[in-house]
Order: sequence, then C-alpha cells, then structure tokens
Amino acid sequence: MTLKMNRRTFLGTTAAAGAALASPAYLRRAYASGGEVNIWTYNQFVPDAFKEQFEAETGIKVNVRLVDDQGKQFNLLAAEAPNPTVDIMTVAGHRFLQFIGSDLLSPLDTDRLSNWGNINPTFSESDWATVNGSKWGAPILSGMEVLAYNTDRVSKDQVGTWQEFFSEQFSGETAYTIQDMLSIVMLMKGYDGNMVEYMDDPARAAEIVAEARDFLIAHKPMVRKYYDSGAEVQQMFVNQDIVAACAWNGPIAALMADGFPVAMTIPEEGSYGFVYTYNIANNAPNPDNAYTFINAILGSPEIGAAMTKASGFISTYKGATDFLTDEEKAASSFPEAEIERLQFFRAEANEMKYSLVDPAVEAVKAA
Amino acid sequence: MSRAGRIVLPILFWAFVVYLFVPLILMVVMGFKDSRFIGFPIRGLTFEWYLGVFEDTDVIVTFLYSVVIAVASTAASVIIGTWLAVLLNGKKFIGRAAVYGMMILPALVPGIISAIAFRIYARQLEIEPGMFAIIWAHAVHNVPFVTLVVMARLSTLPKSLGEAARDLGADPFVVFMRITMPYLRPAIIGASIFCLLLSFDDFVRSFFLGSYQPTLPVLIFAKLRSGMSPEINAIATVALILTAALGIWAERSSRRLKKESS
Amino acid sequence: MSDDTAPIATTAGRTREDRATLWGRIVANGPYQAVSRFVFASPRRQFLLLALIPIVWVITQHLAPMIQMLNVSLLEAYPLTVGEEARYTAANYAKFFEESVFQKPFFRTLVYSSTLTFATLLITFPVAYYLARYVKRDNQLALLLIILVPFWTGEIVRTFAIMILLGNNGAINIALQWLGLINRPIPFMYTGFSVSVGLIYLTALYMLLPLYSALEKLPRSYLEAAADLGAGPLTRFRRITIPLSLEGIGAGCTLVFLISTGYYGAPVLLGGPNSTVFAETIAGFFHNAGDAWPTGAAFAVIMFITALGLSGLFTLLINALRKGDTK
Repeated sequence: MTLKMNRRTFLGTTAAAGAALASPAYLRRAYASGGEVNIWTYNQFVPDAFKEQFEAETGIKVNVRLVDDQGKQFNLLAAEAPNPTVDIMTVAGHRFLQFIGSDLLSPLDTDRLSNWGNINPTFSESDWATVNGSKWGAPILSGMEVLAYNTDRVSKDQVGTWQEFFSEQFSGETAYTIQDMLSIVMLMKGYDGNMVEYMDDPARAAEIVAEARDFLIAHKPMVRKYYDSGAEVQQMFVNQDIVAACAWNGPIAALMADGFPVAMTIPEEGSYGFVYTYNIANNAPNPDNAYTFINAILGSPEIGAAMTKASGFISTYKGATDFLTDEEKAASSFPEAEIERLQFFRAEANEMKYSLVDPAVEAVKAA
Repeated sequence: MSRAGRIVLPILFWAFVVYLFVPLILMVVMGFKDSRFIGFPIRGLTFEWYLGVFEDTDVIVTFLYSVVIAVASTAASVIIGTWLAVLLNGKKFIGRAAVYGMMILPALVPGIISAIAFRIYARQLEIEPGMFAIIWAHAVHNVPFVTLVVMARLSTLPKSLGEAARDLGADPFVVFMRITMPYLRPAIIGASIFCLLLSFDDFVRSFFLGSYQPTLPVLIFAKLRSGMSPEINAIATVALILTAALGIWAERSSRRLKKESS
Repeated sequence: MSDDTAPIATTAGRTREDRATLWGRIVANGPYQAVSRFVFASPRRQFLLLALIPIVWVITQHLAPMIQMLNVSLLEAYPLTVGEEARYTAANYAKFFEESVFQKPFFRTLVYSSTLTFATLLITFPVAYYLARYVKRDNQLALLLIILVPFWTGEIVRTFAIMILLGNNGAINIALQWLGLINRPIPFMYTGFSVSVGLIYLTALYMLLPLYSALEKLPRSYLEAAADLGAGPLTRFRRITIPLSLEGIGAGCTLVFLISTGYYGAPVLLGGPNSTVFAETIAGFFHNAGDAWPTGAAFAVIMFITALGLSGLFTLLINALRKGDTK
C-alpha cells in the first residue's frame, strides 16, 4: 500500500487489531437467507459487479439509495427515526457523534464481521473509530483535504505551504470551502483545528476561531469562489477559473485520472483526513442482512480497489493498491513525508467547535 | 405597428432565443465528449455516453417514474388550483384573505424547509415514502402556481357570458363547464406546463419523500458527486428528447380524440 | 375580448351540435337534475359546495405542514431524542435580529429578487409582445413551444452548461480570443453577471407565459382606434398596452418574486464570494449542524412572512393601478 499512515498520529487506542482477525467466520447461517438490505450511500460506493455477485450468492436483494451529502443523510434519518427504512448508511468518521448523539446508529459488533481484519488497522483501530467504548462503522474509503494546483500554471515549490496558498501570487484564482478552511487555518497558525486541546477552555477556543475567521475575512478579496461540492471545484479547474484550491483528494484524483494538468500536495503545516464508514442504523429493519452485506463487501481488496477507481478516494483495505493501475496509484498516494503531516478530523470537541465555526462561516460569507 | 417595432422587436426576440439555446446546445454537444468531465478543450468525441443511457435500464425506469409523478401531481394541482381560483375570484366571503394566504403558503417556503415539513407531516399521516408521497408533495407545492395563473385569467372573464347562460336556464355547474372552462383553457395549459416543469425538475422534495427509486434530478445529483460528466449531459439530453416526444404525442392524440368525438 | 374567444369558438364550432347533445343528455338526466336542484337550491348551499373542498385542502395540506414548521421554529432542540421533553423558546427568532451576518443576506435576497423580477420583466416583455402582436397566430404556438424547450433541461445540468459557457476557458472567452478581440480571458464567472445569466434563465418562463396570455388577448381594435385618434406609438403603449396587460405583469412579477426568494442552486453555483443568499443561510442550518433545525425553521418563517407581505403589497399596488386606469 502506497499510503502509509503515520501510526504515531493515528493509533490512539490500543484495541488489538488481532482480536478482529481471530474472530470466527460468522454468518454461514445468514447466507442464502434471502430478504433484502437497504443502503444509503454515495454514487458507486457499492460496485455494480459486487452487488450482482452478492445478490446471486446470498439471495439478499440490495436496495441502494444514492445520497449526496452527510447533512442530507442525517436529516433524512432524523426524519425517519425511530423506525428507519434503512439498514446501512455511509457516515464520515468525524460525524459519528452527531449521529450517535441523536440515537441514529447502532454499535457495530465487530465479532460478527469475519473480514474485519481485512481493513488496514490505521483506519479500523484509529482514535476516532471508538466512541463510548464501541465501534460504530466499518471503514471503507479515506479522504483528505489537499492543496490542489494546476501544473501548467503553478510549480510544486510555489505551493509548499498553506501560507503560500493565501499569498498574492494566486490572487483571484483560488477556491475553498469556508468550513473546511477554518480548520486548516487554525492548523496553519499552529493550533489544534479539531479543538480537542481547548475543550476545557472555551474562551481560548473562541479566540482561535475568531483569529482564523478574521484571517479568512482579510483574504476574502483574493478568493475567486467559496464552493460546496467536488463537482464545482473540478469544473473550476477545467474552466481555468482557478489555479489552486483546497479540496478533498477524491475529486482531484478523478481529474488527474482523466489527464487534466492537476496535482495535489499536503503542505508543510499539515492537513486533515477523514474516513467513510458503513454503519448500521439504530433499529434497522434487517440487521442480520446488514452484517452479511458489510462482511461480504470487506471480503476482498479487489472490491476496495473498485471503490477507489470509481470515487478517487483511498481504499482502507489491506492490499487494495495491488489492483490499481500506475496512474490510479499516482492519483491516490502521497510521498511519505507528506502523509506524516496528516491528522484525522476528530469529533470529541465538535459541539463546541461547530458552535463557534458555524457562525464564523456566516460571518466570512457576510463580510 | 411602428417601423421601429418591426426591426427592434424581432432582434430582441431572436437574441432571447439564442440566449436560451446556447446552454442547451452546449449540453447536447458535451454528451459526446470523450472524457469524464465536461468543458473545453474537447480532445475526442464518443457515442459511448449516449449509447450508455439506452443500455442503462435504471435511467429509463427513472425517467418514466419522473414522468408519472409529474403527470399525476400536475393533474391534482390543476384541479385543486383551479377550484381555489374560482372560489377566491367569486363573491366575497369571511376569511377569503385567510384562504388566499394559506393558498399561497407552499410557494413561499424554501425548498429544504418544505421538504422536511412534508416529511414530518407524511409520517404523522402515515404516508409511506415513495411515489405517492412525492406526488402528494408536488401536488401541494404546485397548487399556488395554478391558482395565481388561473385567477389572472379569471379576473378578465366577462360577466355577461355567464349571466346570459344562466338567463337561458343553465345551472352554475353547466355554466362553469361550458363557459368558464373553455375561457380558462389557455391559463390551465400554461399552469400545467409550470407544474410539469416544477415537478420534473424538483430535487429536494423528491429526495426527502422518495424511497429507493430515485427521480431523475435525484439520480443526477447523486451522479454529480463523482463530477459533472458527459454521462449526465447525455442523460439530460435523452430525457429532454423523450419529454418532447411525449409532449408531441400527447398533443397529437388529444387532437385526434377531439376529432373522433366530433 | 372578441379577439380572444374567437379561436375557441372556431374550434368548438364543428363540435357544437355534438356537445350540446352530450350536455343536453347530462342535464336532462334524472339523477343529475335531482342533485342540481338540491345543490343549487340556495346560494348558501351552493357556496358551501364550492368552498368546502378547497378550504379543507388548504387547511390540511397547506397550513398543517407550516404549523409543524412554526412549531419546530419555537423549539429549543429538534429532532427530539426519544423521551426528551419539548421546550419552547423565542431565541431562534432573536438570533436573526441580533446578528447582522444574517440580516445582510436577507436584505440582499430581497434586493436581488426585486431587481431580478424587474430585469426579467424588461427582458421578457418585448419577447412576449413580439410573439403576441407581430407573429401570425398560427405560428405563435409553435414559437412558444420552441422557447419552452430549454426549460426542460433541469436546473443543475443547465447551470453547469452556463459555467462552461462563461468560464475563463469557456465558449465565450474562447470565441472572443479566436476573433482576436481579447488577449486575456474575461472573468465572467462568479460575478453578479453570471448569477443574472443563470437566474433569468430560470425566471423568464414564469414571466413570459402570463405576459403572453395577457398581451395575446389585448384587442387590436383598441390600438387601431387610438392610432386613428392620433395617439403616437409611445402614447398607445403607455395608455393602452401597459394598463391592459397589468394583470399579466402582476401575475408574472408575483410568481418570479416568490420563486426567486427561494432560489438556492443557481446563486450558490454561479455566485461569487459576496453573493450569499438567504436560502443558502437557511439551508446551512439544516446541512452543517444537525441541531440547528429550529433556527433554520425560524429564519424560514421570517423569510416567508416578509415575502408574503411584499407580494401582498405588490398585488394591492397592481389592483390600485388597474382601478385607476379604468376610471
């Protein structure tokens, strides 16, 4: 695997990965049991070939409902609770608390997943993955905030740091999402963008968010566009409306795979990553089928590679890179030195963080 | 007719038509682009995306699903909306202003709010998410558009026509069906077009009230997650052509029906 | 009016005999007569029949979901977790009045929507006028249908088409550079211009159809008579065309204004960093933070009460103008 995460940063908990590996092959009984499983997920997160094979082998019909962002998924599930129609959702790791806090997820019994050990422990045993002593989701794909740039117009030494991203050279030719950028600006200024360090000192946290906010307001004249979706930032690169952007790696990797002159880097100050996981809904109508499905999709690194090819995000499966072409590998890996700078988004301080960040986003927009 | 009007007006008219059609033409052309993204430069062309649309039964099913929802919700909106227009345009009654205000409500509420409000209300009414729920939400949302358009037309209906008919012994229902309805026809056709469009293009209500079968905009939004691809443009183009074909077919057959009945 | 009812009369002409017998048969039918006699016996009964279904409809279908929203807007937290007691507060409303960051997009939306409504009127009026007054009646419907075609493309796909039209490497900049008119691309995107291009596309239809139907039935004889009396083109336009198409203008403007206050997609995709609209602010409360539904609902209530008030005032104004003219 070209992606070698920094264990010092990622392995927060000591939960043994080996325990999962040793778990017995469960679920023979559930196979060929029929019925259905209802899944909310993003486009192409369930590879078609896998879906067909799974349906044929188990007799379980897979109903996929495509969603396009975390907020909508939350709203939909909240509106359906306490009797949801869904079995499996796709929640980003750092959004766990919001879903758990509203009683929308059921804890994941990893003993029921014989293939749990196929996941790279960097993801499955990371600090964000355990909340209230339980696992809540099976990691499938990982993404990160990167600095993306047009290689026809910008050379790599111009984008070594986030500071340079905000300098005059790119005036009027950058784009980013305010909410994500606030965390990165905090990181750039040497603070903890996850705000976990300041959980006991809300006044300090408020000061830091205010500083990041004022920084973005001061640099507002130099931004071309505050965007929301990956499709937008891709189109801005294609249309040459921007030369540099802060973006998720997935959409940029897709551009690279298509031959556009774009590259990405994790600047010196660092950046944040997150993990998409499959989760089982609280009170799910078909929990047994949900476990069968999750276990099956974790079954082989080839499935993980198929998800990476389709989405541009990095597979959490051990050995998934073996099934990627060289271009795809290049678009989904970073040099060791850059990966060292990466941290995961963490949810512990989210309530405080977003009570400060959300108004700051509005303030930047309105300024 | 003034000479200036003869020269300037056609120019303005055709300039407007060009403005409308340029994005449309771009959309059709981009469906042929050999890339995963739309935009310039176009390095190669392919039929793959368009052929893919016809091979993908999901897309065709989704399209037909959206058409059924649009037609059914439009029928409901037009009936209720026209009825409301007649009521509000008739003689004054206590609470008319209140009824007017309530009539217009669904048009005023931002999409996301109305979608969530409908979703919660649907649960209270025990309406399962799915086709019926979407039809219901679209029908309610589109009623004000019908009422506003029909009321505008109704206010110009000469009173003398109805009075004459009534003098000849026709009861109010017959007067409505034989005098008012024919007069309202253009407004009702216009309002139907609004409703069909609003329903066909609605994302947020369809998303929140739908089940596992997406409508066309819901499918497009989901696909947009992996970028604005030529595939999406091809889907939109094919949907446009199919809708136009359906529209022409509906118009033709309604004409034929009329001829046959005469 | 004769101008307008004419086509209906001609199409109906052929079938008149037949229809008369159909209706005659219905009306002469025993049960129909019984029902008719019962229903139309008193004006009161007649009114009740007319009013009952629509009033029940608006109360149960239009009002109830909004009351639900009003309820949410007054809650401290929503959705409630199981077993949690609902607590009411006005803080969600207070938030709007306390912080200028929310008022700015609010007023911006009102100004945008008004300007946009006016701009749409200016652009579509000549189009509707040309269509209704200059084009042969037989061709009118065909042209109208041609104009309608692009509206069926769906907002998102069309908006992205506008992006590749206006982008730095978009169709227009490529064409201008090829013609040698410019050396560097003009940044059209993410400006007030790109938002207007995208939004007028969306609103034009809702203005065009009411305007067309109003202008189309404006009797030609009036204008001819005025010309005979020596009125110039401008006078005729001001004194006859405008006043007689006021209801169409009113309906069109109300529709466009109402729709444009709620627009979200196009301004978000086409606008620059300084063009946040209120719908975006509201949506933010639902998307980013799940526990902010009540605030989002409160802001939506503020928006719709304002929009309702303004469109009400506008309707009063149009009615006053119409009355003034018929005097």
